[in-house]
Amino acid sequence: MALLGFGSENKTTAKKSSDGAYIAPDRTERAQCWEARDSYYSCLDRHDILDSLKEGEKAKNCCPEESKQFERNCASSWVKYFKQRRVADWKKEQTRLKLEKENAVNIADVKDGSVRIVNS
Amino acid sequence: MARAQKVAYQCPSQPIQTRAFSRLSASSRRTALQPATPIRHCQNASSSFASHSQLRPFSETSRNAYKTVQEARSRQRSGPFSWKAAVLFVVTGAAMIVYFQEEKARLERKRIADETKGVGKPKVGGPFNLIDQDGKPFSSEDMKGKYALVYFGFTHCPDICPEELDKMAGMIDIVKKNTGNTLLPVFVTADPARDTPAVVKEYLKEFHPDFIGLTGSYDDIKRMCKVYRVYFSTPPEVKSGQDYLVDHSIYFYLMDPDGDFVEVYGRTHTAEEAAKIMTDHIKDWEKPINQGLLSEARTKAVIPEGDPHDPIVS
Repeated sequence: MALLGFGSENKTTAKKSSDGAYIAPDRTERAQCWEARDSYYSCLDRHDILDSLKEGEKAKNCCPEESKQFERNCASSWVKYFKQRRVADWKKEQTRLKLEKENAVNIADVKDGSVRIVNS
Repeated sequence: MARAQKVAYQCPSQPIQTRAFSRLSASSRRTALQPATPIRHCQNASSSFASHSQLRPFSETSRNAYKTVQEARSRQRSGPFSWKAAVLFVVTGAAMIVYFQEEKARLERKRIADETKGVGKPKVGGPFNLIDQDGKPFSSEDMKGKYALVYFGFTHCPDICPEELDKMAGMIDIVKKNTGNTLLPVFVTADPARDTPAVVKEYLKEFHPDFIGLTGSYDDIKRMCKVYRVYFSTPPEVKSGQDYLVDHSIYFYLMDPDGDFVEVYGRTHTAEEAAKIMTDHIKDWEKPINQGLLSEARTKAVIPEGDPHDPIVS
């Protein structure tokens, strides 16, 4: 058994498999990580922070406990990934809203016939 | 009269029976060992025969086949378009619509399945030589005989792979319920540096016991990703315990029993939708499908369930 190789801080320990390679987080550990991520996200929402990578200092000061838990329960590559994904998901949602305003229709709805394109 | 002829026509073989019947008393008629239906069908015919037998020995029907005037009027009004005819018409029409729609869907599936066969077509998939989660060799030949659902991922994947693998487990169960043991679920790692057979085995047992988990050398996996047109981004040199993510395509590839590519399912498909399409493809397959338990050997050799947090060290 060895300390989790990824990340520098004192994280939970990663298990080694029978051939010596590190086992990936299992279902329970994933769930713990996602839970920590979600409470971190909701804290960011409360403080109106979108990009916690850009506003790292502010995020750390506003959500010290959530930030600690997040980093403790998830591998650092996951932490970075989730922080980036939050921004990407927000941008995606904005694009969707913008398109919706422009009366764009979902291509899937057109394909299954629930929406019809009418040429004006 | 058209109606009278019709009634007579309904019971062509009846006259002899009914004639004998009409001579019997009502009670003995009931006890007679004759099928009940002809009597009911030809009530009009037999009763009319009783009254007109002297005058019209060859006719079994009277002109007054209706019990009431209203009935006669309504028959007269509706002409040959009875409710029976209407029902028959609607049922036949509906059946034909269903048949043609099904046939259309089947031909569409056949078109998709055949699209990638033959010369000059885009080729997805091909020969490979990898190792499974027990460290045994597993090649593209071992995948033939059943349909195969191939998914590329890596065990240290933060969120998408586990979600998709749970979905895939759902598909496996539905397809299995619908068609039996016809589908081989295959997980191929896109991160050979960290995903050794033992790591893959530990990972997959949380999703579905039928999974075949494939890994191999860096070059073998790179080649595998290439033939399946999967984006491959594992860095060639990684230190033990290094933490990184891998970008990879997140599609389920359906391969037929000949090893030919059929189509892909992605994030937009629910487990039910993808399973439905796969079930239809499998039912379309005309050649025999191997129904054997390919994963039997492995499910027997599964590591005994102990404390999941207990590290397994050799």
